[in-house]
Amino acid sequence: MATDSSTVPHIAPAPDAHGGEAHRHLTSYYVYEAPVRLWHWLTAILVFGLSVTGYLIAVPPVSAEGDTNDLFRMGTIRELHFIAAYLLAIGMAWRGYWAIVHGQHARQIYYVPFWSLEWWKEVWGMVRWYLFLAKKHERWVGHNPLARASMFGMFTLGSTFMVLTGFGLYAEQAGLGSWQDTLFGWTLSLFGSSMALRTWHHVGMYLLLLFSAAHIYAAVRDDIMGRVSTISSMISGWRTFRD
Amino acid sequence: MSTTTPNGFNLDNAGKRVVVDPITRIEGHLRIEVNVDDKNVIRNAVSTGTMWRGLETILKGRDPRDAWAFTQRICGVCTGVHALASVRCVEDALGIKIPENANTIRNIMSLALYVQDHLVHFYHLHALDWVDVVSGLKADPKATSDLAQTVSPSWPKSSVGYFRDLQNRLKKFVESGQLGPFRNGYWGHPAYKLPPEANLMATAHYLEALDFQKEIVKIQTIFGGKNPHPNWLVGGVPCPINLNDTGGIGAINMERLNLVSSIVDQSLAFIEQVYIPDLVAVAGFYKDWAAIGGGLAGKSFLSYGEFPQFANDQSNKSLLLPRGAIIDGKLTEVLDVDLKAPDQIQEFVTHSWYSYSDETKGLHPFDGVTEPKFALGPNTKGDRKKLEAIDENAKYSWVKSPRWKGHAMEVGPLARFVVAYMSGRQDVKDLVDSTLKTLDVPITALFSTLGRTAARGLEALWSAKQLKAFNDKLIASIKAGDTATANTEKWDPKSWPKAAQGAGFMEAPRGALGHWIKIEDTKIANYQAVVPTTWNASPRDAAGKIGAYEASLLDTPMANPEQPLEILRTIHSFDPCLACAAH
Amino acid sequence: MARVETFYELLRRQGVSRRSFTKFCSLTAASLGLAPALAPKVAHAMETKPRIPVLWLHGLECTCCSESFIRSAHPLVKDVVLSMISLDYDDTIMAAAGHQAEKCLEDIRTEYKGKYLLCVEGNPPIGKDGEYCIVGGRPFVDQLTDMAKDAMAVVSWGSCASWGCVQAAKPNPTHAVPVHEIVKDKPVIKVPGCPPIAEVMTGVVSYIVTFDRLPELDRQGRPKMFYSQRIHDKCYRRPHFDAGQFVEAWDDENARKGYCLYKMGCRGPTTYNACSVTRWNEGVSFPIQSGHGCIGCSENDFWDNGPFYERLTNISVFGAEANADQWAARVGVGVGVGVAAHAAVSAAVRMTDKERHKSPPMPKGGHE
Ligand code: HEM
Ligand code: HEM
Ligand code: NFV
Ligand code: SF4
Ligand code: SF4
Ligand code: F3S
Ligand SMILES: [Mg+2]
Repeated sequence: MATDSSTVPHIAPAPDAHGGEAHRHLTSYYVYEAPVRLWHWLTAILVFGLSVTGYLIAVPPVSAEGDTNDLFRMGTIRELHFIAAYLLAIGMAWRGYWAIVHGQHARQIYYVPFWSLEWWKEVWGMVRWYLFLAKKHERWVGHNPLARASMFGMFTLGSTFMVLTGFGLYAEQAGLGSWQDTLFGWTLSLFGSSMALRTWHHVGMYLLLLFSAAHIYAAVRDDIMGRVSTISSMISGWRTFRD
Repeated sequence: MSTTTPNGFNLDNAGKRVVVDPITRIEGHLRIEVNVDDKNVIRNAVSTGTMWRGLETILKGRDPRDAWAFTQRICGVCTGVHALASVRCVEDALGIKIPENANTIRNIMSLALYVQDHLVHFYHLHALDWVDVVSGLKADPKATSDLAQTVSPSWPKSSVGYFRDLQNRLKKFVESGQLGPFRNGYWGHPAYKLPPEANLMATAHYLEALDFQKEIVKIQTIFGGKNPHPNWLVGGVPCPINLNDTGGIGAINMERLNLVSSIVDQSLAFIEQVYIPDLVAVAGFYKDWAAIGGGLAGKSFLSYGEFPQFANDQSNKSLLLPRGAIIDGKLTEVLDVDLKAPDQIQEFVTHSWYSYSDETKGLHPFDGVTEPKFALGPNTKGDRKKLEAIDENAKYSWVKSPRWKGHAMEVGPLARFVVAYMSGRQDVKDLVDSTLKTLDVPITALFSTLGRTAARGLEALWSAKQLKAFNDKLIASIKAGDTATANTEKWDPKSWPKAAQGAGFMEAPRGALGHWIKIEDTKIANYQAVVPTTWNASPRDAAGKIGAYEASLLDTPMANPEQPLEILRTIHSFDPCLACAAH
Repeated sequence: MARVETFYELLRRQGVSRRSFTKFCSLTAASLGLAPALAPKVAHAMETKPRIPVLWLHGLECTCCSESFIRSAHPLVKDVVLSMISLDYDDTIMAAAGHQAEKCLEDIRTEYKGKYLLCVEGNPPIGKDGEYCIVGGRPFVDQLTDMAKDAMAVVSWGSCASWGCVQAAKPNPTHAVPVHEIVKDKPVIKVPGCPPIAEVMTGVVSYIVTFDRLPELDRQGRPKMFYSQRIHDKCYRRPHFDAGQFVEAWDDENARKGYCLYKMGCRGPTTYNACSVTRWNEGVSFPIQSGHGCIGCSENDFWDNGPFYERLTNISVFGAEANADQWAARVGVGVGVGVAAHAAVSAAVRMTDKERHKSPPMPKGGHE
């Protein structure tokens, strides 16, 4: 539970380890490197785009009129979905690589210290804070433990689920023996049928949308009330603590 | 111990117990046990349906518009009949009116099934009870050809060469020692009466019918996309009609209509020139069977009526085969049947493997309950791992016991024809009278094993003709500018009432079929089917009345109880379907 | 034993010349990966081989698989039964009944140990000791287990034997299970469909007879040759799908033009079968061609992936049923209300409780 040593504070004086008057000024840490920020916003856009195109695949718009030859509406929606899907997957693969070669912050969303009682206490502390049961909460340079839990549980697992099931579905059109089939075809067997796979892929979308809604709300709220830069830190990379 | 049942049959379960399990050449799993006296005459008969799947339970909570697909899987032999009864009960519950063309197309699909199902029954399920295939090896091809040309002068496949080739092929087959489906048959049994030439001719037609039956069903494929198990739709039929506009190639168009017409013509030809002549020829050798196997026939018949000429009119004015019941042998008195009257159709489970809170009473299908409860009676021989003899005093079948106003009823082509005949339907009268005349037997000859088999053949002929009539009607309607095939006003469940209930009927090839549905909050709250074979194969009821199968076997003399050909003949004359019966 | 009509003789009778038979054999040899020199051996085998015994059992089913089988046009089912296989047991068509019928099973089992094909239509219910399906006085599951022991391979006909089908739909009152859950030590070839297409059924049988080997199977155990692609992949209405042209209601303008049935619930995109190419009943039609969507009848659990006329399947949560979108709408409303309330309370607290946001502790690095 050591303070992060890899994060060098931007502005002196260094914070007093026990809090108090000493740090009643702005303190900033460089948390999100540019590639991570780029990845974050790209992912945000892709998830949004995948949700829109995915929904339209499930519930297509009212029939197109005109010459069948000239129309490719459903085809286009699907194509966009697949392009976004590939980008999302590549981004995730890159982000995984980044987590391996970079430090602690980069790894946070990939696991939670599930066995640490201390950590659970911190999660509980944050839950109390958000439920207005606590007057104060601890602060973290990286993600707060509750955010981390939801990032891991809903985003990391959720988007991995979407990629696995999505490529599982893609394998159906790529055909038996395609690399998509070799790598992801098992997902169909896992869910028992193609229809079930599709249904769960669809449900997965809502899991991600739920995460996004909570995540964006929390980010905006913290930015206003948490006296911590959150939104701007995902833009500039610097996390600033305002008191 | 000898007893008389309330419906007037003497049962005596002393004597030797003979078990036939499985009864083959039927659909599903049926076990028949009989007791024969010292002269090998049947004195007690027990009919046990040995399968149950629980479809009524499975349907609960589902979308009523899907029910046809589930119930259609009750049976793949009488495919489509449950689907039709199902869409009808949903339409009845929701007050949906279907377009005229949809009614016509449904009739065409059902009539095609009648023709095909009866044909397959006669040749592939029933014929081996009368035809000794092996004896055909001894036939003289020339004499066979002569015989074929006498019974059916215009059927082309009747040359000497044709029968010689066939005989050679059969010889090779038999000599191979691998007899396939003919293995262990009752060849040479004294009850086989046909001369070798008739056996060879019938065998040829067995194979021809096998080739031909697959043509008839194409009618269902055209309108329903496949057979078995074509597609149906609440509110009409799924196939649109488009003769002149863009995309007509993908709908019912001129080419499709021509294909239907051509199959209709071929079907009529096959029935007229092969099935009916064979039936008459075979019957001529087995006239003694016009006095065997009657049972409930002539006493209690039930028909729900079928083939509405006009969409949404299910009265006897519209039904080509009328609705009605005959009881106590009062043939001239055809009684009204009401599917919804609580005191008319009821099912008992006293001797069936289900439980009711009060098993002395029957339940009307709207309030029907299907709660499985398997148990073997104290006098059972063997156990559930190896059943040697069943105890008919306890529960003994997966089939329930339906009763009409308390009466055990026989259903099927014979019941339909007798009800139609007695209701004064001229087309049926002419057909029946002329056949009786040809065979030179009185009308009572109908109430027998042979009568049932003959009625089925006549109905196939009647159906082939009606098929043509409805096909013409469809074309006339399209010509007059009506191309509607579905009514979607109440397609959306949001347009349904909070609760509704309905009954749907269908005269299936094997007899009176009813489906009853209760809909609550757009879902199925209760679903019950009472099926033709449920009526015929029913075990005893609370009062001890026996069903049609059991009654029909009584007093039948057997040549050799070890080779139960006589049991097969009579049971097959009903064309049993046990998947239907217990569902 | 007397001479058996062989596959060669069947072909000859059907007008195939000696020459093309020899050619057929060398092609066969080649496709089996054998040297051309072995072609005469293949020919010899085909000329002399006895017909393979087939035992066709029926469990809980509706017999539509048998009905479909007899609709086969190429090969004609009479040729299959008379010349390709020896159908020594099939209670739907066999002459014998009762113990004479059951004896056929035992005889073949001993005479042709390890050499017969066991075809199963329907499935065994294993609830309550198998009492929901009794054949010859024994639970069907026992008959199946016994007969599978000495079989060369097992063919699961239809969705019943392959997946469980309608009787296994929720709540599966008889606990019906597919054949491969009972027979675990033999190759099981699934030929799903409710029913399967006739020519697919006879195609599988004639493949085994002709090439003397079992067909290649996909991950789910189905012959690749018939089940490796979806209805949707080869559907002739696909251009309308890609264009975004759909039937919006039964018998509407678009239905008459033959537009795509996706919005009417078509399961073509999630169904592996040969219908859109092989079609039904000698190529006359298939469900989509006749205006109704595919209901996915060859798929595992297709009965519980309904309702059939909705694209999205119902998901039941604690007994309540709705599709994913409907659930999302419900949850979404909840989340919306929750967020709004939380935001409001946050603002209120911020106005009233100044302390709450003062002097928070030092930021921590967080856990490793
Ligand atoms: C307007 C929309 C968004 C805003 C303002 C936003 C803002 C933020 C902020 C402030 C953080 C840092 C949180 C912290 O340090 O605890 C963050 C992290 C993150 N956000 Fe977003 N976000 C948005 C949309 C999304 C979307 C749609 C997704 C994906 C579904 C997403 C996924 C993530 C992930 C995975 C992280 C963790 C990044 C890491 O640790 O590498 N964000 N976001
Ligand atoms: C955030 C990520 C994603 C979301 C929200 C999403 C959403 C959806 C939705 C809602 C559907 C329609 C399902 C239905 O019919 O009910 C769909 C279909 C599909 N998705 Fe995704 N998806 C995502 C990622 C992916 C990925 C990574 C792939 C990988 C290639 C993918 C491939 C597919 C495919 C192949 C289909 C079926 C399209 C068709 O058959 O026409 N998806 N997606
Ligand atoms: N019994 C019966 Fe059926 C008929 N016909 C149906 O309703 O055969 Ni399966
Ligand atoms: S798979 Fe379908 S068609 Fe075949 S027996 Fe089962 S329910 Fe009938
Ligand atoms: S009709 Fe069905 S299978 Fe054909 S393209 Fe449309 S969705 Fe696909
Ligand atoms: S419903 Fe079945 S028949 Fe073919 S088109 Fe679909 S798999
Ligand atoms: Mg019932």
